[in-house]
Amino acid sequence: MIEIENVSVKYRTEKDIYTAIANVNLVVPDGGTCAVIGPSGCGKSTLLKCVAGLIPDYEGRVLINGEEVNPKVQTIGFMPQNYGLLPWKTVVDNIRLGMKIKKAPELLDRNVIKRLMRQLGIEGLGHRYPVELSGGQQQRVALARVFALQPDVLLMDEPFSALDAITREEMQDVFLRLWRKFNVSTVFVTHYVEEALYLGQKIVVLSAYTGGISQVIDNPLFGGKDIRQKPEFFEMGLKLRNLIKKDWNQIWENQ
Amino acid sequence: MGKSMSVWYLAAAAFLTLVWAAAAEIVALPIIPSPVLVVENLTDIFMSAIAIHSLYSLWRIGAGLLLAVAVGLPLGVLMGYCHRCDRFLSPLVYLTYPVPKIALLPILMLLFGVGESSKITMIFLIIVFQVVVAVRDGIRSIPKETLYPLYSLGATFRDIFFEVLWPASLPKFITAVRVALATAVSVLFFTETFGTRYGMGYFIMDAWLRVNYLEMYSGIVVLSLIGLLLFTAIDIIEQYACHWQYKQ
Repeated sequence: MIEIENVSVKYRTEKDIYTAIANVNLVVPDGGTCAVIGPSGCGKSTLLKCVAGLIPDYEGRVLINGEEVNPKVQTIGFMPQNYGLLPWKTVVDNIRLGMKIKKAPELLDRNVIKRLMRQLGIEGLGHRYPVELSGGQQQRVALARVFALQPDVLLMDEPFSALDAITREEMQDVFLRLWRKFNVSTVFVTHYVEEALYLGQKIVVLSAYTGGISQVIDNPLFGGKDIRQKPEFFEMGLKLRNLIKKDWNQIWENQ
Repeated sequence: MGKSMSVWYLAAAAFLTLVWAAAAEIVALPIIPSPVLVVENLTDIFMSAIAIHSLYSLWRIGAGLLLAVAVGLPLGVLMGYCHRCDRFLSPLVYLTYPVPKIALLPILMLLFGVGESSKITMIFLIIVFQVVVAVRDGIRSIPKETLYPLYSLGATFRDIFFEVLWPASLPKFITAVRVALATAVSVLFFTETFGTRYGMGYFIMDAWLRVNYLEMYSGIVVLSLIGLLLFTAIDIIEQYACHWQYKQ
């Protein structure tokens, strides 16, 4: 479970203090997924980094399974936008790196990695380097790397945004399959409304105007079969878009 | 280096030797002896007269290089990784970098004497700046995002250094050493014309003063071969250590 209680993050520049997010409250239940969506500059990534334990100075509390977030204590899988694969390591070594850092020899089981790679359709690519892979394959390696850790929480920063539309939808299904299997509490940031609707049980709309949450939606469409083709999906997408637009307009009006 | 590449290198060497031979024929003066005579002379006197000088030169370059790496690498890592350190150190490096180090030779000789230490310090000074700047830039070019997954797993600085910083800066580091070594060899020549009776610089200048052009040329060939040897060694290390760069 991820609990975010009254979290604010301020960045100090030379001239003044800039509030990236303000008074965010959010609970992601065990094994749930939560999409964070909002216009650019609304602090989506800041919120994610906060949960990842990457920001030392924040106000409020971030709890993972009831304990204050600490990269040394919990296993936090973080998947950045650029996948974060190291170009000088082969696919297998990239996947192993997380376990190596976590010093979890029990996880360094070859079979676990092998099985994951098979599930992700990258079993033949173990000895290749990231530059030798397509974007979709790199994405699969990045997923293998985080899931191999069996993390307490999984955080993804605009996970599938660099892929073409068809590959993206495919990867969303790949992700859902893995997530169902491993049951990891997941928070991801996206700027695609459809992605939020397809992958998020909970959808959080962040406001660039207030730096806080403008709405939390319990997504009724999550997990539906072939939901992407249904009219409700389009309707809900439109509703979400309008919500985000309204926030934009608020900024313009106040300038 | 592949087999086909080696053939091209041999062809280039043959071509250069031919140009030299042609120049010797056309000029027909003792100042440009034929390569055949030089090679003959070289095989005659290498073990007896030149080997000891080449070893001295290699030792000075090796010691200067090691020292430069020992100082430059940690400094570069510090400046690339820690912004606060960089803000403090960058101006220092940038202000001293353009000073022509060879102009400091008189000062070094006054401080360290005309012996080994001033020569090694000179080579150290020439290589160290290139190493610092290359390592710093190599580390700076790592996207922050790449480090996030490791930080969020509680990576220590040791992990970050060995898994990311070192391999990421290695190609730039090696290139810097290669570029700096070319300058270092020329500077070595210059420093060896003072205060020593050993080293390729001394040998070449001494042969020149004795108007023994064959020996002088033999010395030049050996000094060039030392440069080539160092270059090739660095190339091999680079291809071995950074082979991931050549994948595509």
